[in-house]
Amino acid sequence: MGASLNQALFERLLRPHLDRLYGLAWRLTGNKADAEDLFQDLLEKAYGKLDALADIEDPLPWLSRVMYNMFVDRYRASKRQRLRVVGEESLPPGGLEEMPGVENVEEDQQRFEKLKRLDAALQKLSDEHRMVVLLHDTDGYKLSEIEELTGIPTGTIKSRLHRARARLRQILVEDGTFS
Amino acid sequence: MEQQNEHDRELRELLKDYPMPEATAAFYDDALAKAARTGARKQRNRWLMTGFGSAIAAGLAIWIMSGLLFNTPTLPQSDLAIPEVTIALEEPKTVNLVFASATALDSAVLTVTLPDGIELEGFPGQKEITWETSLAEGKNRLPLRLIALTPHGGELLARLEHNDRDREFRLRVDVS
Repeated sequence: MGASLNQALFERLLRPHLDRLYGLAWRLTGNKADAEDLFQDLLEKAYGKLDALADIEDPLPWLSRVMYNMFVDRYRASKRQRLRVVGEESLPPGGLEEMPGVENVEEDQQRFEKLKRLDAALQKLSDEHRMVVLLHDTDGYKLSEIEELTGIPTGTIKSRLHRARARLRQILVEDGTFS
Repeated sequence: MEQQNEHDRELRELLKDYPMPEATAAFYDDALAKAARTGARKQRNRWLMTGFGSAIAAGLAIWIMSGLLFNTPTLPQSDLAIPEVTIALEEPKTVNLVFASATALDSAVLTVTLPDGIELEGFPGQKEITWETSLAEGKNRLPLRLIALTPHGGELLARLEHNDRDREFRLRVDVS
């Protein structure tokens, strides 16, 4: 197959999943530079597996798993990185107006403050708990998808999710966010 | 219990609103194009590498094995094949130089001289970098993370000195 045909096939297979994969890279690395590196590394690896990729009906789980393994191997195992969450600077570039479900300035401000406190609370969770709660409750991954992604049994994921939510609730009550 | 349920509901709503990072369409276009370019180049390089024999590709690393012992009489390297590596423009790549020493050596001095347009990651603008190091008996690996800033390439010189003896290693760096 020629290079241009390969590239066309590659784009057709990958493009529908780019948002999801980029978001996952962020959730794993916690910062833009490392997320972009991990994302790029994944794309380059995927290009080398183009034939296999073309035979997979739904490539997203496979790609996500490859990215997770790359992260564990290259980043987390080397202790150079740790899981972090999206910081305030990563809130939508349009500011509060870009946030869904807010219609007036006062509500916007309250929502913004709560999200900042949530961000701070998330920082206090362990890496494993933070990743699970963000993947499940924010990004909409199903439990089975997280199991497939990480290799962690569903029972353990449920337990971590439960504990992560409980800890977040506790922090947000203690800091007055929840009355 | 009712209050906890309310907190649960509020927490779930907040988590749903917690922003998912997104990139621009231009970023995705560039990333896909770069992956295709790099992938195609790697496929070509795989063919080229088979001719090197002594160079083993391992992920992004290329091992340059030198069987010379530091304590053996110096051979002019012109008598030997100068190993070659190819790196992509502006893409850092790790090249591992492997030195073999017959005995452990304390306070050896290693100087790397870079060709024009090639930099060592972490040492921007420095053409010559010197370290004092100890060598173990046997093989000693020196990972060099090289970045090509121009497409010209050139010859990298690694000079190892201990007491009054020295040994030079040359490496041809090509830029694709």
